[in-house]
Amino acid sequence: MTKRNYATVNPCVMCQPMGSALAFKGIENTMVLYHGSQGCSTYMRLHLAHHFREPVDIASSSLSEKGAVYGGRDNLKKGLRNVINRYNPKVIGVATTCLAETIGDDVPAIIREFKEEQGIGDDPEKDIIIVPVSTPSYGESHVSGYIKALDAVVRKFTEKSEEEKSIKIPNGKLNVIPVESLSPADVRELKEIFEVMSEDYIFLPDISETFDAPLREDLPKIAQGGTPLSEIADMPNSRASLGLGIVSKNLAVKYLEETHNVPGYNVPIPIGLSNTDSFFIELVKILGCPIPEKYQKERGRLLDAMVDVHKYLYGVKAAIYGDPDLVFSLTTFMLELGMNPVLVATGSKNRDFEAKIKQTVEIINPEIEPVVLNGIDFDTLNDAVRECNPEILIGNSNGKYIAKALNIPLVRVGLPIHDRVGAQRILTVGYRGAMELLDSITNTILEATDTFTAPVQAGPAVYTGEISEKDCVEGMR
Amino acid sequence: MKEKIGIVNTLEERKPYITRKQEKGQEIPLACDNNSLAGAISQRACVYSGARVVLNPVTDAVHLVHGPIGCAGYTWDIRGAKSSGIETNRSSFSTDMKELDVVFGGEKKLSNAIDELVELYHPPVIFVYSTCIVGIIGDDLESVCKTASQKHNIPVIPVKSEGFKGNKSDGYKAACDALKRLIKKPPEDPTAKKSPRAPETIKPKINILGDFNVAGDVWLVKPLFEQIGIEVIVSMTGDSTAEAISRAAEADLNLVQCSGSMTYLAKWMQQEYGIPYINASFFGIEDISLAMRRTADYFGSEKMKEQAEKILETEISRIMPEITRVRERVKGKKAAIYMGGPAKALTLIKGFAELGMEVVIIGTQTGKKEDYEQISYSVRDGTVIVDDANPLELAELLVKQKADLMVAGVKERFIAYKLGIAFCDFNHDRVVEFEGFDGFVNFAREVDASISSPVWNAVRQRILKPETVEAENKLDRIEKAAVEERTSGESYAKECTNILLKPEFVHQKSDTAVESQV
Repeated sequence: MTKRNYATVNPCVMCQPMGSALAFKGIENTMVLYHGSQGCSTYMRLHLAHHFREPVDIASSSLSEKGAVYGGRDNLKKGLRNVINRYNPKVIGVATTCLAETIGDDVPAIIREFKEEQGIGDDPEKDIIIVPVSTPSYGESHVSGYIKALDAVVRKFTEKSEEEKSIKIPNGKLNVIPVESLSPADVRELKEIFEVMSEDYIFLPDISETFDAPLREDLPKIAQGGTPLSEIADMPNSRASLGLGIVSKNLAVKYLEETHNVPGYNVPIPIGLSNTDSFFIELVKILGCPIPEKYQKERGRLLDAMVDVHKYLYGVKAAIYGDPDLVFSLTTFMLELGMNPVLVATGSKNRDFEAKIKQTVEIINPEIEPVVLNGIDFDTLNDAVRECNPEILIGNSNGKYIAKALNIPLVRVGLPIHDRVGAQRILTVGYRGAMELLDSITNTILEATDTFTAPVQAGPAVYTGEISEKDCVEGMR
Repeated sequence: MKEKIGIVNTLEERKPYITRKQEKGQEIPLACDNNSLAGAISQRACVYSGARVVLNPVTDAVHLVHGPIGCAGYTWDIRGAKSSGIETNRSSFSTDMKELDVVFGGEKKLSNAIDELVELYHPPVIFVYSTCIVGIIGDDLESVCKTASQKHNIPVIPVKSEGFKGNKSDGYKAACDALKRLIKKPPEDPTAKKSPRAPETIKPKINILGDFNVAGDVWLVKPLFEQIGIEVIVSMTGDSTAEAISRAAEADLNLVQCSGSMTYLAKWMQQEYGIPYINASFFGIEDISLAMRRTADYFGSEKMKEQAEKILETEISRIMPEITRVRERVKGKKAAIYMGGPAKALTLIKGFAELGMEVVIIGTQTGKKEDYEQISYSVRDGTVIVDDANPLELAELLVKQKADLMVAGVKERFIAYKLGIAFCDFNHDRVVEFEGFDGFVNFAREVDASISSPVWNAVRQRILKPETVEAENKLDRIEKAAVEERTSGESYAKECTNILLKPEFVHQKSDTAVESQV
């Protein structure tokens, strides 16, 4: 195909407001409102509902032509009022869209005005906290929208005067903040690890229940679960912050370090052996406790599993695509398994992506030279796949078109997954996640290569006669 | 009947949009056809979405979205509209506008993107959708498209679908305006040929407007007309091509199914080319029969009428045993309908009646006054009619109206599921045809499967409670409290509590208590 410079064909990213919802929805009793036209909220609700198979309520300020001309102040205020009225949230995340940004609405100012008019203060105990975040769709991608929203939330809940900042009441806790949206199953697994290692942790954002809610006896207006607000406010008092993901910058971890002197450590998203090892090593360093026997055993089982499958996977050419940090961690794992990640791609434009990938390749298997692509669309990926000729694709469900066209099996990981069930239950993190991923990849390869042939029939002369049961048993030996 | 606390709890400003069925001749007191209320969480999308869903099934077109990446990303291949040939429409094309494009204008990028796509895909037509931001920064799509059109010698058609400039209905109109530009003047004098003619001499031609070939619907509808000697030039826009659309004005008659989106185009074709139109639906035995009979009547040939009757008889007797079987299983069940457009809602009422089911809630995103009047006449007493509903209203209505099944789209699906109510997708997501005779069998079977699945029995017990005497007593107390609350006239889903409501079966015991007290 001809090289394209202007047209994007089949996008490999979503827009910033979408990322903000993925973050906000992991906070206790929080509603999201998009300041923009009605369609943004509906499309993103649809996208998320498809993926998580949960109802997803996101409000819109429903800007009309009048709003676009005279400013969206009235609509935004009305939207906030109605959301409070109907949902009674503790927090409202207000994400801007391209429309609101381009007409130049000063969202923080409108919110200040709204709070004054409604007599809403700043006390998280009794007041509704409104968190604005600037996420125009023409800037970066959903990954940055997610990071920005978390940063905005942490800032909002830890706003303190200079004097207050110096007074710390250490809580001995560990802040954990992933740099990309993980699956509810991943969050559950990580929380379990932290509970075993140390009860004192704050996980932000916790979508383990909000995006994977059990059927309950009642239907809450806002899905239960999420990171408690008191814990977010307590983050500056923690002993350290652990950022999961090293390709994108974790703004919230950085902010807590720079403003509140909470030491920040960043490790890769713990997918695969070495990444999960680094994660545990960092935890041991910070918490000062040994790795529990439970995880030593899990690690042992993963090693056992890796040995079991090494022949199936050695040299198998894989193409991995998706969000930068997910792809980084997946690639590391594929390398550890002896696979050959011939093509490694992300839809987001990320400065450090290529260097980080090259680095991990250099460490684990310097013999291979993967094609690393940054800020691509699926059409570009399609061309690259044709060139690199992988035997397996690993990434979200939007790769299905390539998989079908080129008859390459696809292992679905990431977001969105619209054409299969169970996206919310896909576990990739920790030793258990690594095992599940390894099984799923190996079985996919086996399924694709296993050409089942019926047992060869021996000549009739041997078997036509009656064979006693004894003979059969004998024969089997 | 005035209800003390309104039909459901909702915002004051939303109350005029929810009513109950009215007596015949009575004007329906329902507000509709307005922009959505900020913060109310409308299920509607935007102008762009309206335009996109109508045009997207044009299979060989490049659908280029001029805007930031999101608008194209979220609409990539979501329509479920099948193609019998090329599938260019299943790709998502965008100019992926970035900050610099917003500051300096996106015209140049757009024009370059068109050049690239023409070279790569050689499409017979390009639709260029404008998005919110284009409306603000003022890119001149008309002139970019005109230049590109001349340069590449194909129609490059701007679709004026800035998200904020109205609602979904305005998007339908924008799509029709784009289609208008694609329809060519027929070769001979158009005024001479628009009266019904004897089909014995010349084969009459029709277009089907407002069928999008979701799951292959059109393929079950077209043969019905072809079998009675009518040529279907094009279905707009399901499984259509630019070439077929361009010949649409050669038709003698337009059949309009999705009236919400296509009446505007049908009226224009009537005015411009003298092609009359009739409303039709290809869903359910009654409506399919009506569509075929009205079409045959229009052309007036006895032979055609006879053929139509023969086909109807054969087809109906073919599917009736299965329909009767399903009917026995689902009759008396209560259905809730929430649709994008009113035409589908109306035809569904009849479809449910054919299955012996009654409709207890009916709503649409884009209905107009006259649509709701018609809906009101078609449903039973007590049915709730709602315009531009939101999730909380729908959830409460489903419980209060005791619906057994909801028919709607993806966003509504999980509301129903959480409440333990069966759901049937009649939107982009379904995988089997619902139109035509076999389509109605598919629908009936899906309704049966949705309602009859044993999972609904399983989800009634959401908490595993091995019973102890103490626990029972406690449960009794809770139920008594619930009865008191309900009889005191207050809603059980109070404003400003975070619990929306409990699924219907959780209330069952107390409901009976209420009734017996009354």
